[in-house]
Amino acid sequence: MIVLEWLFLPNVLCDAAEPWQLGSQDAATPMMQGIMDLHHDIFFFLILILVFVSRMLVRALWHFHYQTNPIPQRIVHGTTIEILRTIFPSIIPMFIAIPSFALLYSMDEVVVDPAITIKAIGHQWYRSYEYSDYNSSDEQSLTFDSYTIPEDDPELGQSRLLEVDNRVVVPAKTHLRIIVTPADVPHSWAVPSSGVKCDAVPGRSNQTSISVQREGVYYGQCSEIRGTNHASIVVEAVPRKDYGSRVSNQLIPQTSKGPTIALGPYLSKARAT
Amino acid sequence: MAEVENQKTSSLAAQYSLQEIEEPVLVESPVEPAVDEKPAITEETVAEKTEEAPPAEESNGAPEQEDSSEQEAPEETPEIKIETAPADIRFPTTNQTRHCFTRYIEYHRCTAAKGDGAPECDKFAKYYRSLCPSEWIERWNEQRENGTFPGPL
Repeated sequence: MIVLEWLFLPNVLCDAAEPWQLGSQDAATPMMQGIMDLHHDIFFFLILILVFVSRMLVRALWHFHYQTNPIPQRIVHGTTIEILRTIFPSIIPMFIAIPSFALLYSMDEVVVDPAITIKAIGHQWYRSYEYSDYNSSDEQSLTFDSYTIPEDDPELGQSRLLEVDNRVVVPAKTHLRIIVTPADVPHSWAVPSSGVKCDAVPGRSNQTSISVQREGVYYGQCSEIRGTNHASIVVEAVPRKDYGSRVSNQLIPQTSKGPTIALGPYLSKARAT
Repeated sequence: MAEVENQKTSSLAAQYSLQEIEEPVLVESPVEPAVDEKPAITEETVAEKTEEAPPAEESNGAPEQEDSSEQEAPEETPEIKIETAPADIRFPTTNQTRHCFTRYIEYHRCTAAKGDGAPECDKFAKYYRSLCPSEWIERWNEQRENGTFPGPL
């Protein structure tokens, strides 16, 4: 059923949560790719230790059965093995810690100035987004609200409880700064395939930097749920040259410079093309 | 467009390199405040790192801009830059509350020192508008009018 729907519809939902999903969603940003790589690194050592410890445990239980081995050995000391079993487990966390700290500090590092700032403001039961880079006075920022489409309303092929009416449109391959702040109660802005989860605390404005590497539609969910129909966050990454037109719904091509962006006050309902 | 096609097939490094087309367009824009280095550095950084940042001038009204852009397409039209407040090393962490507050205060101290329409203060205005939620800005504007703004203006 689901496969048939996917065949006939243009949306490919590889960046949304799937039922009974066990692994991560496909990475869309270098940060998420780094997180997945770290996960694979740690998982290797995890399996190593798991197999080793299970083997020891099973072996001990198997061989030291009171009927098969009634007379136990009386070994009390073993200097060599004690040294090994102290040194070796202290080296393994070092192998885990090195990539982990590298990723952790690289996530905070600001190498490139962001090109675009988008403010994600959490309200009790919806989100609003502001694109304020283009206004020349205090009142003119492009602002829109993003409501989850309620259960009765989604069109064929849309995800239940994941779709919103107005998506956040961002240009791909651009360094973005997302400022997350709430208007009322704590929220959290999370998009798993972009590796973003940023808490929004009242009175505080947090920033995350992402750089979405491929176009597509990315689904996330608010990680501090504040009511019904609250959950969805949808980010749509469009090619950089289309960003201006999607923001303003008007594209004026120029010969040598690329598209001119004219700011319109309203963001139309966006669909992945 | 040839430029777009080239960029589609070139590597990321080639895409991020500064292109010759960007320089003359940057030079032409007259609106940019020439006094401070910061906006120039920001623009160049952005132009270097981005593929097709259309350098732009800001316009005042949205409807006017749309009409004029349509009619004056081949000429110098008011355009919009893909740039924003740069990362400030005074605020390296995730919490950017003070960054937003500081930019707001800097703008108002700048206008108090240099007058309301001073072009040097425009960049501070752009920065705080990019960084601060509009609710905060409205609340601070009201507080300033009432004289209850809790900051060193």
